[in-house]
Amino acid sequence: MRLVLTAVVSGLVLLAQPAQSQTYPTKPIHILVPYAPGGIADIASRIVGAKLTEAWGQPVVVENRPGGNAFIAMGAGAKAAPDGYTLTMATVGDVAITPALFKEMPYKWDDFAPIGTISDAPMVWAANANTPYKTVADMLAGAKAQPGRLSVGSPGNGSINQIVLEWTALNTGTQFQHIPYKGGAPAAAALAGGDIPFAILASSSAGPQVKAGRLRVLAVTGARPSKFNPEWPTLQSQGVKDVDASNWTLLLAPKGTPKAIVDKLQAEVAKILAMPDVKERFAGGGVETIPSTGAELDARVRKTAQQMAVIVEKAKIKPD
Amino acid sequence: METLGNLAFGLGVALTWQHLIYCFVGCFLGTLVGVLPGIGPVATVAMLLPFTFGLGPAPALIMLAGIYYGAQYGGSTTAILVNIPGESSSVITTLDGHQMARRGRAGPALGIAAIGSFIAGCIATLVVAFFAPPLAELALKFGPAEYFSLMVFGLIAAVVLARGSVIKAIAMVCFGILLGLVGTDVNSGTIRFGFGQPELTDGIGFVALAMAFFGITDVVANLEHKDKSDVYGERLGRVLPSWEDMRVSFWSIMRGTALGSILGILPGGGALLASFAAYMFEKKIAKPPRTFGEGDIRGVAAPESANNAGAQTSFIPMLTLGIPSNPTMALMIGALMIQGIAPGPQVMTERPELFWGLVASMWVGNLMLLVLNLPLIGLWVKLLAVPYRLLYPAIFVFCCIGVFTVDAKIFDIYMLAGLSAVAYVLFKLDCEPAPLILGFILGPMMEEQMRRAMMINFGDVTIFLSRPISAAFLIAAAVMMLLIALPALRAKREVAMQE
Repeated sequence: MRLVLTAVVSGLVLLAQPAQSQTYPTKPIHILVPYAPGGIADIASRIVGAKLTEAWGQPVVVENRPGGNAFIAMGAGAKAAPDGYTLTMATVGDVAITPALFKEMPYKWDDFAPIGTISDAPMVWAANANTPYKTVADMLAGAKAQPGRLSVGSPGNGSINQIVLEWTALNTGTQFQHIPYKGGAPAAAALAGGDIPFAILASSSAGPQVKAGRLRVLAVTGARPSKFNPEWPTLQSQGVKDVDASNWTLLLAPKGTPKAIVDKLQAEVAKILAMPDVKERFAGGGVETIPSTGAELDARVRKTAQQMAVIVEKAKIKPD
Repeated sequence: METLGNLAFGLGVALTWQHLIYCFVGCFLGTLVGVLPGIGPVATVAMLLPFTFGLGPAPALIMLAGIYYGAQYGGSTTAILVNIPGESSSVITTLDGHQMARRGRAGPALGIAAIGSFIAGCIATLVVAFFAPPLAELALKFGPAEYFSLMVFGLIAAVVLARGSVIKAIAMVCFGILLGLVGTDVNSGTIRFGFGQPELTDGIGFVALAMAFFGITDVVANLEHKDKSDVYGERLGRVLPSWEDMRVSFWSIMRGTALGSILGILPGGGALLASFAAYMFEKKIAKPPRTFGEGDIRGVAAPESANNAGAQTSFIPMLTLGIPSNPTMALMIGALMIQGIAPGPQVMTERPELFWGLVASMWVGNLMLLVLNLPLIGLWVKLLAVPYRLLYPAIFVFCCIGVFTVDAKIFDIYMLAGLSAVAYVLFKLDCEPAPLILGFILGPMMEEQMRRAMMINFGDVTIFLSRPISAAFLIAAAVMMLLIALPALRAKREVAMQE
């Protein structure tokens, strides 16, 4: 009897699954954001969320749960019911750097079912315009002449920006003084005001200051030049081997979410990211949309996490 | 003259029907979220962000800006009526504002807050129009050394805030600094006093602290009184400030506006510092009879003018440099970027309709807020007629909702409960919360800036004295310390002489 019942129940579950994903979504979808409103993860969620609502007629609620090194939102996202109604918008740091910084984590990459990459924000290595440093070579020469005496600002300890700094230092045999700030805006202000000679910033926060003649961009930190400012050279083209980093975001569902729902989300999000008006909105902030499959995202995170772990260990980076 | 022409052009932009409507919507929503505990301007702006996609950049910015300075107006309402500061910059308003309400002068307190804010808003708008670029340069001159010295000055001035014992005030400042140290150290990344709780890695929330020390403690303290009658009900008093009130407060409003306009341009806590500075300044120089701490109308007029002036001038770094001075501004920059505009120095020349339209709309918005708020005062004051047995539970519930909605964390409510117990003990010991709050906010900033200054200058301490602005603040702090110490010293000597 019990066997029959089990068979019937599991049969029903099997039957219910495709039906459930066909009608999905039937209620509001929540996107957890581990950061305060205004950051790229938040804005990306709101742009994509608005379009998902248009497509599916269900409201998308963006929930900011900042803090605790993103543990709070990421932990909640990992443990949420795997029904496709609670998603998480993470940044590369949350899935590839944080795990290398902390021994105990409330989540791991395998807790998630990857939906796809969303946006890619290039970063730049910028110098104050009143300093004598015009190129990366100038700066490296300066760092070799006075090891550890050149200050480089970043939005915080353990940020992807700091990774770029330590990665560059490791690969060129130089030393810098890392000055962490509370976020990108204060770091940009400190660089524009001349408190520090260098900072590694999002290209969107450096751009206006470059136009105003306060800052000079020495290099972009990705492997390829930015689509929006092709005139800026890459670090690699200026002799800094291997360094390739940008600040990208990704959308996740909890592990165990029915494949049909993950696929439906992936397809719709990729479609949204290819829309001209969506691209334009992201481009306004100097950000590219990068639609991908879940498998591509999975491979990218695993590769990046390995690279980051090596740098974190060699440079002895501490969390923030 | 050119600026006047630009302002006229801006008014032309701001006075179109579409922009007037968005300005009104922004101001109205702002007042609403300012009064309702729990939903702050940041959450409101974030929720409205997708809605602005379809608008042009000018209406979007005008509406979002309206929410921001509208919330500053609304925040003081709860501070005065029920002793709950909605925003950090209205903490200081509770000191005399709530005392006025208890003495049946809630109407004049709310009225002077609205009128002072309006006058401050008008003047600060002109400051933005005429002096934005040079003031932005001044803001950039503030490096870590300058910030550190400003904080030292602020903390020493906090002692002046105390009504009673100087020693207790110093103790409270120190306790505030200790509470502020909980969380992750920006410079080293070390977590202090975290006890393994991820919720504590970002420190103790300001809203929980403010509600525990002001709203909840106030209610608990009132429960001690045997007299359970509807106290405020019988003494509602007049609704608007009298001409005498206006005359007494006029120069306080002017001084508050001046301080607010200057301090507002500093990114990070400018408006808050402004409200504290204005109050302390007033307390020192106001003509007798002085009843600060017991419901002096000047103690409401000055900080309220200062925080509103500061709210207006904090747009300067954003508009001229593209640097947001607080989270709400960061969101507005996000909204502009989505519209394809990179906020920065070029906005003024490339998109004059945006810059001047916004500046002019601030003035229009301030007028709307005055018109919106003055008639509401009568309604707010009637709220005080609600019996205690209904009002008190409501305050408790609103405090809990307010604390919860900041980050949607249950943990913060436990924190509120714990802090309330501490706050009550301190209240019984006659220790005042205002110096504690100032220590809580300024202490960690001071540490962060000092260590950053040291790191950038490789441990050279003379940096604090060799930079002129920094040196000036340190000297002013030293003078103030002497002023505090002198009366005590003199008293001691007199005692010694008599013997």
